Amino acid sequence: MAAPFTRVCRPLWRIITTTTLNKGARNISSSRQQWSAQNVKTAVAASPWALHGAVCLQRLPVVSQDRSPIEEEFMELMHQMELERSLLSDHELRLLEDAARMSRKQEEDYDSDEEDEDYRDKEIVTAQDLEDTWEQKLKQFQPAPRSQGVDKKDMGSSERCLADSLILLVKKDVGSQKLWLLPQIQWQMGETLRQTAERALASLPGADLKATFLGNAPCGFYKYKYPKDIQKEDSVGAKVFFFKAVLSSHKHLPLEKNSFAWVKKDELQDFLKPEYLKQVRRFIMAL
Amino acid sequence: MAGIVCRTVNRIISSQASCSTSMVAVRHSHWFTSVLSLKTSMPLRAEPKKKKKVDPRREIMMKERLKKKLKRLEKVPPELIPIEDFITPAKCFDETRIRDAPKLSFEESERRALLLKEWSRYKYAQHQTEMDAIKEALEAQRQALDELKLESEELYKAAVSPDTDIFPFQHEGPSYTPPITNYEAPEGKYNNITRVYTQ
Repeated sequence: MAAPFTRVCRPLWRIITTTTLNKGARNISSSRQQWSAQNVKTAVAASPWALHGAVCLQRLPVVSQDRSPIEEEFMELMHQMELERSLLSDHELRLLEDAARMSRKQEEDYDSDEEDEDYRDKEIVTAQDLEDTWEQKLKQFQPAPRSQGVDKKDMGSSERCLADSLILLVKKDVGSQKLWLLPQIQWQMGETLRQTAERALASLPGADLKATFLGNAPCGFYKYKYPKDIQKEDSVGAKVFFFKAVLSSHKHLPLEKNSFAWVKKDELQDFLKPEYLKQVRRFIMAL
Repeated sequence: MAGIVCRTVNRIISSQASCSTSMVAVRHSHWFTSVLSLKTSMPLRAEPKKKKKVDPRREIMMKERLKKKLKRLEKVPPELIPIEDFITPAKCFDETRIRDAPKLSFEESERRALLLKEWSRYKYAQHQTEMDAIKEALEAQRQALDELKLESEELYKAAVSPDTDIFPFQHEGPSYTPPITNYEAPEGKYNNITRVYTQ
């Protein structure tokens, strides 16, 4: 959580532009008391920024990632070293005994009476036979293939890259353009921003996605100003607050390709605007 | 008067004699009173036992002694449950199980040493990237909360309030192969041989 800190406060009605539109000098505010008084007076409705709640829905990886070459090498080395430092197990002892017995049987002067009582005339199941039967049994089980056979380019399917975490993107009309965004919706009076984000997820057409939201606090925000002609006294721009959520149920219904996309972190740059991407990349962790 | 008594006695005797000859069940023992009265045995007719005053005190003393013995037993500290993981099983000390140590060539030992160093560098770099990513995410969250505070106190307070529904949080981690749809795992029998200790 944010640690308490002191900083120079600016009055609410003189919000400084951010990196989106770099212009104007910084106006250092008057005293803090003025700011807090104004904050109390001005309710949320009087703020020039429209509030939006957005959801960053992640489908976490289903399958483990492939090992890099150095990881492979190291794994081999570790296995070898562990084997060298270990003691012989029961199974290995049994294998050695069987091998010794077989070699004794092959000799010319083999006398079966010298064998132990237990192993004289019975049908012995050697450890090697056991190993073979176990292998046969393992081959009968067919695990699902790691890549799941879904084409990597099919952005609508949530079964795409099972080894990575995917983010849900939605194509939306913003002003005059159609943009790829994280699903967002306008905040309404009387609800918390997290409820706004939940509503944003629920209001997606045709998608029945069940998600667990991780906490009440937003994980990131994005601020943008409306184009000059739309800007009014009380609507300068919009602030979007992102909330993280984890996809809980696996619905295999593919979503419309044109309006939905499941993308990895490195594919985000093909879809999102650069400034938006810069803010979104900060809180998406794809490790 | 005496004559009447004599006559009645004679009649009784004669009747008794006649009774004795006719009836089979006849009591000859002096312990038994007449046949017509209630059947009572000796202990029933005996004098009632006197309850000694010492007896209840003795019983109380016995109970107290037993309680003291129980307390003494309970005061013994409970036996500690052994941690099975810390006890090396006897099998590990068996000398027949020692493997022959392989002889490593110079190149092999060099390769191993270099690979270990490479690995430590790789892991360090990985750790750094992870830490940086976490710091970045935390910074983004902090800034978002600052902006929200500027916007409205109510929403800020709602955002900062703890979420009670999130825990217990459960999620199936990644496995080597994805789960098979509509898979019925075969039922297996198993004998649970874990030792359960009670204190």
